[in-house]
Amino acid sequence: MFRKTVLQEGVTLYVRNTKQFKTINLSIKFKSKLDVEQNANRAVLANVMQDSNAVYRSQSEFQKALDALYGTVYYTDVAKRGDVHILSLNTECVNDEYLKEQGVFEEVLNLMRVVMFEPNFENDTFVDEVVQREKRVVRERIRSVYDDKTRYAQKRMLELMRPDQPASISAYGNESAVEQITADSLTAAYNQMLETDEVDIYVVGDINEDELITTISSLVDLKGRKIERTSEELAVPDVKEVRHILEKQDMKQGKLQVGYQTPITFLHPDFTKMQVANGVLGGFAHSKLFMNVREKESMAYYVNSAYASHYGIIYVLAGIDAEQEEKAVKLIEEQLEALRNGDVSELEMNQTVALLSNSIRSSFDSAKGQIEVYDQYKQLDEEFTADNLISKWEAVTKEDIIEMASNITMELVYLLSGREATE
Amino acid sequence: MEKITFENLQETLYHEKLENGLDVYVLPKRGFSKTYVTFTTKYGSIDSVFVPRGKKDMIQVPDGIAHFLEHKMFEKEEGDVFQKFGENGASANAFTSYTRTSYLFSTTEKLYENSKVLLDFVQQPYFTEETVEKEKGIIGQEITMYEDNPDWRLYMGTIQNLYQEHPIHIDILGTEESIDKITADHLYECYETFYHPSNMVFFAIGAVDPEEMIDFVKKDQSAKTFSEPEEVVRDKHEEPAAAGVTTNRINMDVTKPKFSFGMKCNRTDVNGEELLRQELAVGLAMDILFGRSSDFYSKAYAEGWIDESYGYEFNLEKSFGFAVINSDTEHADKLEQLIRTTIESAAGDWALREEDLERARKKRIGQYMRALNSIEYIANQFTHYLFNEMNLFDILPVLEQLDGNDLKEAFGTIADPKGHTVYQITPAGQAN
Repeated sequence: MFRKTVLQEGVTLYVRNTKQFKTINLSIKFKSKLDVEQNANRAVLANVMQDSNAVYRSQSEFQKALDALYGTVYYTDVAKRGDVHILSLNTECVNDEYLKEQGVFEEVLNLMRVVMFEPNFENDTFVDEVVQREKRVVRERIRSVYDDKTRYAQKRMLELMRPDQPASISAYGNESAVEQITADSLTAAYNQMLETDEVDIYVVGDINEDELITTISSLVDLKGRKIERTSEELAVPDVKEVRHILEKQDMKQGKLQVGYQTPITFLHPDFTKMQVANGVLGGFAHSKLFMNVREKESMAYYVNSAYASHYGIIYVLAGIDAEQEEKAVKLIEEQLEALRNGDVSELEMNQTVALLSNSIRSSFDSAKGQIEVYDQYKQLDEEFTADNLISKWEAVTKEDIIEMASNITMELVYLLSGREATE
Repeated sequence: MEKITFENLQETLYHEKLENGLDVYVLPKRGFSKTYVTFTTKYGSIDSVFVPRGKKDMIQVPDGIAHFLEHKMFEKEEGDVFQKFGENGASANAFTSYTRTSYLFSTTEKLYENSKVLLDFVQQPYFTEETVEKEKGIIGQEITMYEDNPDWRLYMGTIQNLYQEHPIHIDILGTEESIDKITADHLYECYETFYHPSNMVFFAIGAVDPEEMIDFVKKDQSAKTFSEPEEVVRDKHEEPAAAGVTTNRINMDVTKPKFSFGMKCNRTDVNGEELLRQELAVGLAMDILFGRSSDFYSKAYAEGWIDESYGYEFNLEKSFGFAVINSDTEHADKLEQLIRTTIESAAGDWALREEDLERARKKRIGQYMRALNSIEYIANQFTHYLFNEMNLFDILPVLEQLDGNDLKEAFGTIADPKGHTVYQITPAGQAN
């Protein structure tokens, strides 16, 4: 779906010409190995690169320039996938065709070059004042997870299940790692990123592919780099007994997280089978969890399961009355047991495959969706298409579901609530 | 069938008003593989006082009933509607706002089977005392979920400070006490009054053939029987210009204090193009004064008085309107002072620069074009605008006409300090 051009070893351009959108999207992704200190540096770096540059020395000057380019959006973000950290520079501008003036996209391309290669330096390092300010902002972002009880419960579950492993390491690093950043360390992180990261550049919109490839090749002045990905075998705890952790905050609802482990990961040949199994269990509004825990027992407003395939983790989350925890866990476990026993109808299988298909096809209806889905799945198949994936889901049988469900083992029950810990 | 072309946007909208009063709109979008369909009634949480269809006197029903009704529409004698959508590969949902209730699905296959499911389930109510009782547990959990959400509490708290009488000060979900009073009879009464096709809009967008879809809906509707269209008589929402409460704070288990500044709009008895002009003009004024390129933002961000949670918005519908500026902050007093002086500087003799206006205008144009990439945005916003007698596709021409005086005048409708309020959440509990 994307036309691929290798600009240098380790630096790849993916372009897609389409008339589907009124805007042009560009995303530059810097990929490195996940590491708490580096993540912290890159989280702050992303903010600093969004704040200003050598041409626009302050946030407000920069923002004014973007506004004047018909509200061109420019933002940076950091994320993780498996044990890879991703810093993205993203921009979206309106296609000239819909505007009263021409040349907006050319200016935006040039701005992206500035953002990447002409940082707001004083004496060859980032400006200390900006660095200190953005450190504070990132620190507060890390801290604020506490205020969002659903996210906090999720974070705690992952920390308890996989301490100090990629599954629980934040793409922002942590507060003490952010604290240690200096203008010098940040400048070093920036230089290292440009020199050694794997770089993937995406463009989606109504563009002339040939011209764009030539333009970007000349704008992106990056040297070739060797990309070696070694993934380590990570320790998975041996479950002798399910751990049961209660934590208390001043709150009304109980946030239940049930964590399971599975050897079927993203790169495993049975990955697509596990996607279907997770869908039958709790991915949708027709799934077992929704139908039984919510509709039948009226115990929860939200209850669903999620498959963190890169980490070999499946988890169920639900908002419940804390007093009902035991009953909820029992009901959840019963749904999984039903899968293990093959208590899965053809209708449930068909509904799940239909909704998985709908969701992957729908995600291609946004430029961002096209970029993100392709960027993930190209690791499995460079020629990735939605139809290809859908045909794999369609081939999944009830026997496969039974096998997948028997590869899901409960590891942890975590409840965050206002209830006193009694155990 | 009426065909409306918006050349500068390269969009064509198809419309037909059916005999039973239902408005059907279809907007085909090239290159899209999914179709998004919404079926919406002009009935939201603020409509709890009204004259029931066929009766003479106003009645009051328990708060939160529009949302409760939305939940109960999905349950039928033969089972749950999500099952049917799932079978046809559609992802379905619904939402209730202050002024509307919308049922929707998106699909990449079996468009007409799914459209049939949508039309049928919304037009065939099935409520029993037993199913109504059962829902109270689910919605009870939804209410406590929102009660634990500090950003929602901050937002609702601000509106509750601003409005004294208008039912917008009541939570869309109601309370555990109010929903406990809801009965199947209530639901039928509300349903009969507000779910008549003449009070509803059907909107299909994406991979869809307009003629086929309009024909399909027409055939479906003519096979069903409906009573005559009748104007719904709703309570007039009177509301004083001043904010009900000027300041309020609550404690929650959060790490950083949360601050919100509310501004009540004193001109809400408008609709149609006048409403659109006012909404866009206040929006531009807010962008210039409080946007990321404003002096206010530069100062507040540099001083550390606001952080990434900072945001501002303006909402305007017939009978209510308000602006909200909010951020997590350790410096609430300084932030409040700066907001107040910024408002003052613009409320009097605002030295609005032409270049600032032009830049804000360009920014809004870009924002609008970007939004038109989203078929969900178009369907939901189009319906919202339609219920206020505006047209989503008129935004561009109106934006282009606005001048400095329009902005000053419009900003004046939210600038009176008597209509302002502050709501805060202070850290307590474990986080403290």
